[in-house]
Amino acid sequence: MAHTLDQLEVGKKGIITEFADEQAGCQLMTMGILPGSEVKVIRKAPMGGAIYLKTDHQQFAIRNTEAECIVLK
Amino acid sequence: MHRAKIASPPSHKKTVTVALIGNPNCGKSTVFNQLTGLRQKVGNFPGVTVDKKVGTLSLSDGTAIQLVDFPGTYSLYPTSQDERVVLNILANPQDALYPDVVLYVADSTHLEKHLLLFTQIKDLGFPSLLALNMADEARKENIVYDTAALKKSLDVPVVSISARDGENFPQLKQALLSLLQQPTATSRLFYQFSEKEKSVATAIQKYLNLKNPYQALLVAQNAGRLPFLNQQQRDKIQNAVQENEFNRLNKQVREVMQRYDTFTPILKKSVQRTTGSKRSLTEKIDDIVTHRFYGPLIFFGLMVLVFQAIYAWSSFPMDLIDAGFRNLNEWVKSVLPAAWYTDLLTDGIIAGLGGILIFIPQIAILFLLIALLEEVGYMARAVFMFDNVMQKFGLNGRSIVALVSGAACAIPAVMSTRTISNWKERLISIMVTPFISCSARIPVYTVLIGFVVPASITWGIFNAQGLAFMGLYLLGIIAALVSAYILKRLLKSEERSFLMLELPAYRMPVFRNVLLTVWEKVKTFTIEAGRIILIVSIILWVLASYGPSNKMELAENQAIELAQESNLDESTTADLIAAKKIEASFAGHLGKFIEPAIRPLGFDWKIGIALITSFAAREVFVGTMATIYSIGSAEDEGSIRDRMAREKNPLTGKPTYDFATSLSLLIFYVFAMMCMSTLAIVKRETNSWKWPIIQFVFMTALAYFGSLLVYQLFS
Repeated sequence: MAHTLDQLEVGKKGIITEFADEQAGCQLMTMGILPGSEVKVIRKAPMGGAIYLKTDHQQFAIRNTEAECIVLK
Repeated sequence: MHRAKIASPPSHKKTVTVALIGNPNCGKSTVFNQLTGLRQKVGNFPGVTVDKKVGTLSLSDGTAIQLVDFPGTYSLYPTSQDERVVLNILANPQDALYPDVVLYVADSTHLEKHLLLFTQIKDLGFPSLLALNMADEARKENIVYDTAALKKSLDVPVVSISARDGENFPQLKQALLSLLQQPTATSRLFYQFSEKEKSVATAIQKYLNLKNPYQALLVAQNAGRLPFLNQQQRDKIQNAVQENEFNRLNKQVREVMQRYDTFTPILKKSVQRTTGSKRSLTEKIDDIVTHRFYGPLIFFGLMVLVFQAIYAWSSFPMDLIDAGFRNLNEWVKSVLPAAWYTDLLTDGIIAGLGGILIFIPQIAILFLLIALLEEVGYMARAVFMFDNVMQKFGLNGRSIVALVSGAACAIPAVMSTRTISNWKERLISIMVTPFISCSARIPVYTVLIGFVVPASITWGIFNAQGLAFMGLYLLGIIAALVSAYILKRLLKSEERSFLMLELPAYRMPVFRNVLLTVWEKVKTFTIEAGRIILIVSIILWVLASYGPSNKMELAENQAIELAQESNLDESTTADLIAAKKIEASFAGHLGKFIEPAIRPLGFDWKIGIALITSFAAREVFVGTMATIYSIGSAEDEGSIRDRMAREKNPLTGKPTYDFATSLSLLIFYVFAMMCMSTLAIVKRETNSWKWPIIQFVFMTALAYFGSLLVYQLFS
């Protein structure tokens, strides 16, 4: 079942299938977050709102609203 | 109109322009600093407030190179003002900074993420050199490169370097030299154009006389925002775009995917990575540093340490500067004859300069510590942790840097907002930062706080005055957040806001980078703010030294008579004359003129004079008070406070600086926008007079009504 990155619990992994929003998706892609990449949620921000995630060998922080655009399988 | 033409080959130029380009966190500034050292100039890219760093170096054959450090960007699809600059220049062969060759810096530990922009640069036809930076880190992580294979398949000279310790820099310069001698750029494209793209590109190439098809495509994509195009050109391009049903965003996604598809297989063949599943040190550090509970605690702990350091370390150099300028002043007065120009030089210019330079220790220490936190990689974590809270107030996680810096000085703090890509968030950060109590307010607080809270009150280890001090800071923070919230509601913006932040691996700081940052910030402050403070100091000196017609002379004679009658000694007489003169001066008249307006706040005309003079810079308050209360010769805060405590209201006979007036004055100084230099910087950063004027009116109104409320409540 398709779900988005913001629904993933801390410590869980998923593989990106597509981006629900082209503008956000394109920006993520330029940073190296691509369809086919495996992403892991490392933790949530202390006061919420953002996610600390890891893909390949790199750590990123993105907002929940941006994570909603990332569709996983 | 055909403005664009083909760039002349490097051999026809006196100096060669080399662009330093790469993603954020690729170590580009370290490479730049390593190559140019102190031979660098910082300015702004034309028309925008984006830092432009240009350095010079010469190669072994004597070729002089102008090295331009471009802002770090992930691609030529700009999302912030910083990134837009890169596109604006690379898409315009007419630009003065259009490079002859590109030195592309990539982080060799994350090469798969750093080649997207590289392929775009290659497709633009620039002769390029690929520097694989952080070779030392790659070795530690057991990443092995086949540079020969990379060179062949990417069709570019490749040098593996480590900018931190200068490893392989001779080879890098040699490779740059070979490239300049034979600037070959291949016609091979990493990106295959679709039929529609081909026809758009051809049309624009013909229209603008562009040599490179990818350049034409980028122009098509960004026509509306490229500053070098005029309206007619934009319309024409727009037509070409519409005729060919060219969809910008769609094209962008397709292009990025295709580029990754071309270089990912190349990397698979030529890079070997044998890292295990072991968690990196960075992740382990982040377990604590970004922890739900310890994370914010560590942040506030660090901030307390930063402020402790600022106050503890800066007091000695500040005393030195203060004493130095006072001695210089006295020396000049003793050498030059007593005349108006001596007064202008000493009380106007030297005093004004002293007022600027006294802040350098605090600014230097603040930026030393912030640059360290930035270099290590901590700031990105702070942004991640506080983004949500900042968002609620219309700010961005990145605003935290500005708000923290604002506690030293609003000028560098306002400049630090340049990394915020969303204009609305950046504007709000600029507008509210001056509410944070800066170091210039400290002398004012120090003088006044004793009248509000007696020094004798303590609760256990807490001193009541210390707590009151903290309260004033807190009041400034609350004012900043509340105004940010109001602005968030008032300002409309269609622009979407993103966070999307790379959390780089923790690294030992490169001290060369840190020191160069501090040097650059201090220089900017001294020049930008210094200029204005100096001009205003001179104007204020004129206002305080001259008066309408012969009233000044009259006042002086009266003072001398009075002094003779009551047998005053020489220095008391001089102080009395100064006090009488300032009363008769333009500043004194202004003070009396505004007295009716400030009476409801509990201020008399003497405080009015201080308000006017400290408009240039808040700390001038103390000096003005000293002159008004005729103790000009004793300029320390303690004696001024003693003198103010004795001041009586002529009508009621009660102390002028009672609880209500002093508190009202404190509140005024917390809120009021009394800093010409900040206004000037805000004007420059927002590129209009509108925002600094709004800021001035809003902050002064808040100060006025805040003080009014406090005085009416407590008097």
